[in-house]
Amino acid sequence: MLRKVIKSNEFVIFLILVFLSLVVGTINPAFFSISTVFDILRAAIVYFIMAFGLLPIMIAGGIDISFVAIAAVTSYATHMLLIKYGYQGGIVPYYLIACTMGLLAGLLNGFLVTRFNLPVFNVSLATFTMWYGFNLFFVGATSNFDLPKGTVGYYAKFLITSQDPLVGTTGLHESILYVVVIGIFIWWFLKYTTIGRGVYAIGGNREVAIRSGFNVTMIMLVIFAIMGILSAIAGVTQAFLSRYFNPVIFIGQPLDVLAAVILGGASVTGGRGSVIGTALGVLLIQLINRTLILTGIPVEWQKLVLGIILILFTSIPALRERRIKRMGHTTELLQE
Amino acid sequence: MGEEILRVEHISKRFGGVVALDDVSLSIRKGETCCLVGENGSGKSTLIKIISGVYIPDEGDIYVNSHHYKKLTPIESIHEGIQVIYQDFSLFPNLTVAENIAINEQVASGKQLVNWKEIQDIAREGLAKINISLPLDAIVETLSTADRQLIAIAKALLAKGRIIIMDEPTTALTQKEIKALFKVINELKSQGISILFVSHKLSEVTEIADRTVILRNGKKVMDQDAKGLEIRTMEYYMTGREIDTSAITFAEVTPVTPPLLRVENLNLSHGFFNVSFELRQNEVLGITGLLGSGRTELALSLFGMLPADSGNIYIKGNRVEIKSPTDAVRHGIGYVPDDRITQGLFLDQSISNNIVVRVIEGFKTKAGLLDNRTKSEQASQWIRQLEIKTPSGELPVKSLSGGNQQRVVLAKWLASNPKILILNGPTVGVDVGSKAEIHELIRTLAKQGIGILLISDDIPELIQTCHRILLMRAGKIVGEFHQGEITEQQLYSELIAGALAESSR
Amino acid sequence: MTTRPKISLPKERLTSFFEAAYIDSQTLQLIGVFFVLVIFFAAIDKKFLSSQSITSMGFQLPELGILSLAMMLTILTGGINLSVNATSNLAAVLAGFFMLKVVPPDATGVQMVFYIGIALLIALLVGLITGIINGFLIGYIGVNPILATLATMTFFTGISTGLTGGATVTGFPESLAVIGHEKLLGIPIPFIIFVLLTILTHYLLYRTAFGFKLRMLGSNPVASEFSAIENKVVLMKTYVLSGILSAITGILIMSRTMSAAIEYGTTTYVLLTILISVLANVVSGFGNVINVFISIIILQILSTGFHMILAGIRGSSFFKDFAWGVLLILIFIVNYFVYQRKRS
Repeated sequence: MLRKVIKSNEFVIFLILVFLSLVVGTINPAFFSISTVFDILRAAIVYFIMAFGLLPIMIAGGIDISFVAIAAVTSYATHMLLIKYGYQGGIVPYYLIACTMGLLAGLLNGFLVTRFNLPVFNVSLATFTMWYGFNLFFVGATSNFDLPKGTVGYYAKFLITSQDPLVGTTGLHESILYVVVIGIFIWWFLKYTTIGRGVYAIGGNREVAIRSGFNVTMIMLVIFAIMGILSAIAGVTQAFLSRYFNPVIFIGQPLDVLAAVILGGASVTGGRGSVIGTALGVLLIQLINRTLILTGIPVEWQKLVLGIILILFTSIPALRERRIKRMGHTTELLQE
Repeated sequence: MGEEILRVEHISKRFGGVVALDDVSLSIRKGETCCLVGENGSGKSTLIKIISGVYIPDEGDIYVNSHHYKKLTPIESIHEGIQVIYQDFSLFPNLTVAENIAINEQVASGKQLVNWKEIQDIAREGLAKINISLPLDAIVETLSTADRQLIAIAKALLAKGRIIIMDEPTTALTQKEIKALFKVINELKSQGISILFVSHKLSEVTEIADRTVILRNGKKVMDQDAKGLEIRTMEYYMTGREIDTSAITFAEVTPVTPPLLRVENLNLSHGFFNVSFELRQNEVLGITGLLGSGRTELALSLFGMLPADSGNIYIKGNRVEIKSPTDAVRHGIGYVPDDRITQGLFLDQSISNNIVVRVIEGFKTKAGLLDNRTKSEQASQWIRQLEIKTPSGELPVKSLSGGNQQRVVLAKWLASNPKILILNGPTVGVDVGSKAEIHELIRTLAKQGIGILLISDDIPELIQTCHRILLMRAGKIVGEFHQGEITEQQLYSELIAGALAESSR
Repeated sequence: MTTRPKISLPKERLTSFFEAAYIDSQTLQLIGVFFVLVIFFAAIDKKFLSSQSITSMGFQLPELGILSLAMMLTILTGGINLSVNATSNLAAVLAGFFMLKVVPPDATGVQMVFYIGIALLIALLVGLITGIINGFLIGYIGVNPILATLATMTFFTGISTGLTGGATVTGFPESLAVIGHEKLLGIPIPFIIFVLLTILTHYLLYRTAFGFKLRMLGSNPVASEFSAIENKVVLMKTYVLSGILSAITGILIMSRTMSAAIEYGTTTYVLLTILISVLANVVSGFGNVINVFISIIILQILSTGFHMILAGIRGSSFFKDFAWGVLLILIFIVNYFVYQRKRS
């Protein structure tokens, strides 16, 4: 059992996380503070949620980038709609309306993929462009800072607070609970539902999945629906955390989320991926993003360092695979 | 032996103008192992596809468990307890053993939630049926082919399979694994399960069959109790002739020194050891051996795909380094792979593109641009010369039949004018008619001066085309036989002797 | 062999003409879309077909056009190059730095041409080096192209960010503007460059041994290895070409905007190039440069057309993005039915 854990991909990412933390911490001891942890988690919240939504699609063998556009259009449209009618209440209606929109947007992707037999990536490219364009043209092109009265204090609703000598009061935002709940849900969905196992089956061998009796169309629609809903949650949450609604939010981020899911062990060709791995992948990217500043590397050079780290992370497994291929040459190995 | 469980009567099936099955009848009893034997293209796979409901027969009747059908649907077939284990095993490589075994039951039960304990129990039950234990949590892609096959069998039994059809189950197994598989088959028989064992490897058939049915060119030519049936008799029925090599004219081997190719003490770890041989101009040299004997590794090494660790290769007396296919090609070596679909062809590309791929540099005009007209003319010339049947060279290669596809691969290499051609299983998946023509082509090429290394486990093929045959076993060359000095049966027994040696190790 | 008198029916003759001109069903479809759009916009606003409007399109579309060629080459091999835009920006930033730091302000006309020449060479060199890095990772190490170019995209942008500190670089010599603002025989210079590169790419793909190998590799990399095509060399060359084309785009952007910045284009540009490939039906092993060319023009028409119609309406320039997405979905659906009909 222990051996299996140690050999797992998740454990490797975990080790990298620990190693990076130690390196950063050695360079700048300020890293080892609760406020840093809170800061990284706060930044990571929406990425966790989007990555969890993307994960089932990647396991089924698809690559999607439209989730960011869905996050943007659902959150921004909900907000503009509500303030148009002078809404001053709490945040729950935001989530309800946005999630309904997200569900529909996700289903649209799923419908196009299944009905017209299209590659997920191609469809998501079209809906990505379409939703951002829709948002900017039909809904609004400028950021809106006009929050309803009932939601004003939400950005600082902390589960735990701590005093930090440098930054004052910091805390762990309560929306981290969403992450936990959603993470557990996706884990349960993938592991304990027949549909969830079907997701792995489709990614492993689509033809055999059909032959085995899985309803592939239904499974695809379900995972796209989940993706749509989670994107909406991420969009709304991000808006309240940053206290404004941005029509082009996340427009540059789909590849970051994709990279996090892949670093977390999901395969680009499908069949592989786990919630824990994905969460670690998101943390790793956020850790690199947020802590390079603590290492004394000037801000403007941090992206370069991130690029080098990414190149290394992607090359090492590829090199390892090449070696295995060389060793295992053909199927006609002598079996002693 | 129990009562009759499956009977097909007077089945015929045509594809366009080609008759695949002609008035074939067959019956299987409970607990019986029936071997369906025939060369490639004899109609074996058409028959099993009709029994499993994939094809609809043009004529004939099917009786399963005394139910009468004019045609079966796949669902009806499964419902009647017919399970086919195809060569790809239909497994999910990314899932565990347990899940692969239990997944059909999970889906069929209509349950929305997965009970992992139940999955494990189902899987254990499935494996218990064949008296096998496998690690339930292992991911299938990490397992050997033999283990995957056992999983597929367990899965078939769980699906209430009463008649299990195994399509060439031993193709990718070593002798030891074949023995283990036969043990499982005997276990199944004792439980009253019927097996339809499809194969063209006669040595296995003699070992496992209760009854043997032989198809040739879509007709049933033999159906009898397997007891006392000799390989030689089966062979006669399979091919429809006693192979008479005296009627075949072999090329005169040029006895010049140095030889075209000389290999000296070649080694590849986990592949082959101290391999030495010579190949002369005009000569067809066969290399045979069982799976895992190192024959394919040797071919790949000579072609530079798996460069040898040590040893020397001489071409016309000059020592050469072959570290990549580019090196091999530079020294005039061509390679026709056994896996035509993935290694040999660009399926979506046109026939002419496939033919000229090796010589594309030769169509450059003075300006450095390709002369597309000459290119397609040369391709058409090869299409005519090798009699590739197609209305146009611009059609994709995937539109061709197996035999014609193989000719495209041959044309690709012949266009580059090789001195040495390595053919790995050149007639695998090729119909009987094309097979004879490809054999004739091989002999013709030898007459034209090409040295040919023919890697094959098809005994008649070796006897009919090779001047000399080298036998490999466990990575070493253990025997050499000359044309005219060995019969098919002797060669068979040499091969099987190797198998026995291996399994008793 | 007996020769039959050859009477070719008009339809056959048309087919062979189409084949010779590399026109396929997708081309006809795209040409159809092109005319529908032109007629639609011209009917709504006469200004759409004015020489002024056409000229301005001629200045705008080459950037995305050349970048799309860079993307197309890699998609043909079965890969992708997400770093095209990062490469353009890096090329522009480095060439820009050279001009700011090295060129003396009092340089004479001839000297200026020389210095600008060097700057352009630097840009091309950047394209070459970034291409080598991508080609090495993908061809020699075997990293998945999506991951490899995602990483190098960050890396290249990282270099630009580090050098510029995120700021826009400006203050280039006036004469640089010639490339991005002048016309030759009434045709915008960027457009001439784009057309030339399109023709070159077409020849490269269909009339050279390298292009042939590239397409074969895209169809089946295993078979190409077994046909003694050196996959890694072909991949290396492909990504180098992709890098150089990206760098040329960088030069055009720099010359048109007279500035260099890290965020020019960003993600949208990369996605648009993929979008164009998808619209032009470019897949591994098969792709038609003419279709890519028409797709780019369609994109520009949509952009200009909607801009014209919706002028004065808030956020009008964004409508084209929406229209693009919808158009792409429509084309997917039409393609689906066309191919389904063909199959049955």
